[in-house]
Amino acid sequence: MNGGDLLALGPLIALGLTAVVVMLAAAFCRNHRLAVALTLAGLTAAGVALVCAWPLTPRQVTPLLLIDRPALFYTGLMLAAALVVTLLSHGYLEQQPIGRREEYYVLVLTTTLGAGVLAASAHFASFFLGLELLSVSLFALVAYPRTNPLCIEAGIKYLVLAGTSSAFLLFGVGLVYAALGTLDFARLAAAAAGGAAPGLLILAGVSLTLVGIGFKLSLVPFHLWAPDVYQGAPAPVAALVATVSKGAVFALLLRYVGQLPVSQHAALFTMFTVLAIASMFIGNWLALLQQNVKRLLAYSSIAHMGYLLVALLAGGRWAPAAVAVYLTAYFVTTLGAFGVVAVLSPRGRDADAPEDILGLAWRRPWLAGVFTLMLLSLAGIPLTAGFVGKFFVLAAGVNSNLWLLAAALAVNSAIGLFYYLRLIVLLFRQPAPAPAATPPLPRLAAAALGALTLALLWLGVYPAPFLQLIRMLMPD
Amino acid sequence: MFEALWLIPALPLTGFILLVAGQRWSRRAVAVIGAGSVGAAALVALGLAVRFLVAPPPGHAVSQVLWTWMNVAGLTPRISLYLDALSLTMTVVVTVVGFLIHLYSTACMAEQGEPPGEGYRRFFAYMNLFVASMLVLVLADNLLLLYLGWEGVGVCSYLLIGFWYQDPANGRAAMKAFIVTRVGDTALAVGLFLLFVHLGTLQIQEAMQRAAAQWTPGSTLAVAAAALLLGGAVGKSAQLPLQTWLPDAMAGPTPVSALIHAATMVTAGVYLVARTHVLFELAPAVQLLVAVLGAATLLFAGFSALTQWDLKRVLAYSTISQLGYMFLGLGVGAWSATMFHFVTHAVFKSLLFLAAGVVIARLHEEHNMFRMGGLRRKLPVVFWTFLAGACALTSLPPATAGFSKELILNAAWCSAGPGGPWLYGAGLAGVFLTALYTFRMVFLTFFGPPGDQTAKAFPAGSARRPLLEKAMALPLLVLAAGCLFGGLLEWPAALGGHPFFVKFMSSVFPGAAEECPLATERILSAAAVLATLLGALSAYVLFLRCPGFARALAATPAGAAVHRFWLSGWGFDGLYDRLFVRPLVWVARINQADFIDQMYQGLAQLNVGLHRLLSRTQNGRVRWYAAGLAVGAILLLMMAVFL
Repeated sequence: MNGGDLLALGPLIALGLTAVVVMLAAAFCRNHRLAVALTLAGLTAAGVALVCAWPLTPRQVTPLLLIDRPALFYTGLMLAAALVVTLLSHGYLEQQPIGRREEYYVLVLTTTLGAGVLAASAHFASFFLGLELLSVSLFALVAYPRTNPLCIEAGIKYLVLAGTSSAFLLFGVGLVYAALGTLDFARLAAAAAGGAAPGLLILAGVSLTLVGIGFKLSLVPFHLWAPDVYQGAPAPVAALVATVSKGAVFALLLRYVGQLPVSQHAALFTMFTVLAIASMFIGNWLALLQQNVKRLLAYSSIAHMGYLLVALLAGGRWAPAAVAVYLTAYFVTTLGAFGVVAVLSPRGRDADAPEDILGLAWRRPWLAGVFTLMLLSLAGIPLTAGFVGKFFVLAAGVNSNLWLLAAALAVNSAIGLFYYLRLIVLLFRQPAPAPAATPPLPRLAAAALGALTLALLWLGVYPAPFLQLIRMLMPD
Repeated sequence: MFEALWLIPALPLTGFILLVAGQRWSRRAVAVIGAGSVGAAALVALGLAVRFLVAPPPGHAVSQVLWTWMNVAGLTPRISLYLDALSLTMTVVVTVVGFLIHLYSTACMAEQGEPPGEGYRRFFAYMNLFVASMLVLVLADNLLLLYLGWEGVGVCSYLLIGFWYQDPANGRAAMKAFIVTRVGDTALAVGLFLLFVHLGTLQIQEAMQRAAAQWTPGSTLAVAAAALLLGGAVGKSAQLPLQTWLPDAMAGPTPVSALIHAATMVTAGVYLVARTHVLFELAPAVQLLVAVLGAATLLFAGFSALTQWDLKRVLAYSTISQLGYMFLGLGVGAWSATMFHFVTHAVFKSLLFLAAGVVIARLHEEHNMFRMGGLRRKLPVVFWTFLAGACALTSLPPATAGFSKELILNAAWCSAGPGGPWLYGAGLAGVFLTALYTFRMVFLTFFGPPGDQTAKAFPAGSARRPLLEKAMALPLLVLAAGCLFGGLLEWPAALGGHPFFVKFMSSVFPGAAEECPLATERILSAAAVLATLLGALSAYVLFLRCPGFARALAATPAGAAVHRFWLSGWGFDGLYDRLFVRPLVWVARINQADFIDQMYQGLAQLNVGLHRLLSRTQNGRVRWYAAGLAVGAILLLMMAVFL
């Protein structure tokens, strides 16, 4: 390990150090503001480190981590998401009856660290390490409001089920190791591409690792936990689960599966196709008449992961770009949607019942406007980021002649539109005589929502500069 | 100097934007912005007109390209303006008359509405948007831009007819106007497509040159294109058979009727035909159709105007009739005379509407002429100005403006085309009818014993009558002066005049209509004056001297039937209702639950059913969820093993 390696690992080191600093600060001086300020400073520092590491790519740092442009891009995306979640959390936690708030940010930082390790990992060991770092931090975060039974229930469910899925994952890794004697992704890919079809042992191992990955991405049929956990978790944490956790695992999947010859291998291709189509349809169907906003967003995220798989399956030159664009749009809109729920939440519970947003446009027009934009973007309406993302995914699918998947995507966009519009109708309906009192808008959260809205419109209306950035991620 | 052309439509548009954006403008600020923006546009237009007369630009036309809208597959519509004698005339009339009407509205609209002055800002916003759209229409160098203005004025007309939207009847009238003109607009749109496909351009001047070069007179394409454009013109200008919307459009405030439904928008059809006159000259059959439609319309509307009791509806039918004269003029190729009639008509008809607006407002929104009467001494300014307008409408001295109609009639008689004398005969009968209904209106409203509304509004005891506001009196006086002297611009040569206006227009319409011999012209003018005098005299006898006779005539069974028929506008509304509206509504009703709909309903039901089914899987039990994980793993393994 030399100086260059350290520089390449800069973002991860900055995140780890910040977690320690915030924890130490909490030990000496309990101050919510200080914790938030330190977290924000640490995330910014990690961002700066990321910019410094950019010229060094690609760089293999130990056999475990490969710092390349996609890894840094996704790490940056996750840093931004963590920043937004921190901004949203400050006001949210102030509002809630929670005794100690400072450790929350330590957990947010370790979650992001885990996500960064996942995005950069090139080896099953670092994969598992990052995944567990992410998961364990999230268990604690989901159950952070200890006095709320709903949160505790969600935390325990997540713990048990994530443990189960990790067992499948580990067993799969074991099978791969037994067959190949290596835990390196590159060696696995080389073995798989080595002329002869991969042996059954390897195939079974890869399938079982997909169980663990599918669980984290809440792909059907591993999706059952998602609505319960999203509903129980505090809104900013739910946003973290929906974005950072899924984004990191998808970044890993891109590297892990991107090297396997998926499109030539019937079994693998069928597996992914089935997962994608089932996730799209079942996620949307489950969301169709769902009343609870957070559960609805959970179902919607199941469907969105299905859409993303289309880009992954498309392969070729455009797949990484399509995934990057789609994930960015998904991050912006999902954070925005959960952010609105977070700032609306009164003391003691989350504002996820339909009554909470009924007639919001008449009480809080700006907030309702932001929520409407987020929903339109999730539905993929033009001039929003969601449209650009969906367009890229569809274009990638059509380019690779994946007509079945493209058709499923189109049909599901129509089904999805129904429930997004249903929420928008709810926003604009005349309110009942006595509207529920909503807490005042915290300044940090308002800034975060404003920035997200601007990003959404910017990506939707003038995506050219962003696409220029994305182009650098594509293989030459 | 001509670079300022873009300012003319931009100024009212700015007024519109300011009025829409400024939620808290005071009443005074609204008036200043609303009337001022149009006034400024009028000043610019007048300045350009002076420059145009003193030092005409090369080719007697200026074109100003603002920007290119888009460039797709050979379609490069430019946002460009075109100023020649024709569009300059239209622009000056639209801005000057528009300004006077805006000025009048600043006082008039302050008293109307419930509470008084409600919707003041909204009114001026719509009016400014209208003026801007109308100016885009007349100044457009491009048929697409013209179409934008065309639809823009249609929207404003809709908004302003339904201005008092609390009354559903007004909303219905607005919709009727919008839908009926839409029929014509569709024809126009198809015509534009046809022109673009076959001529490859939508620039008006270029298209006309190419049409003249490519198409032989009477060729199918030329006839089809001209007929489609005529469809649009007929709808907008309320000619047979699309005239039914204009009488109902009187539901709007009176200044709206004056500006949109008399002076400017309804003449857009006339302007369109004049602008594309090359096309109509290539299609003689369609041009004859224009003349026949005009002649039929002017007679039809003249008879209908005879029986109306609503003051504004008389004026509405009179407008249809006068537009009929303009179409007649276009049909016989008297382009310049027609445009001159447009100018004078804009002046005298808006004057009549504005004066009628004062009468109606003073009598507490009474429209029925039979309840007016005797207003001559109560409202002297209104009476004298109204009389000036009426004289201009019937082309009686001392008003000179109305002689434009004679020019059209002369051209019809002397035209080389078929049926000249017949068209002239219809026009002459129309002259008689015009005099008859106009003086019926004058006598019923201003002469005779005071009606019950007059008595109520001006009780015998009160000596002082309310003064007319300056902002309302000034436009009336200016327009009345226009009625008295406007005709001098184009005095018939038979009476020793000089054709200034025709000379001015000659750069646009080079091949002028056939010159009539001077002697013929004298005889024709004498005949027209005679018809007018006869009509006025008949009106005096029938409606003032012995009104019992007219009443008795209307009471006979045949008389009553004719009266009903004319009053209802020759039953067109009922006919269209039975022919189009009811069958459509019927089809829509029986098709409500159609087969295709059922399919979509079924699809929606299927989705809902699947949602219900799948929701059961989300039962909240961890062991079930863990089992789901295991089943998923088994499925993946099975695929790995068996595929």
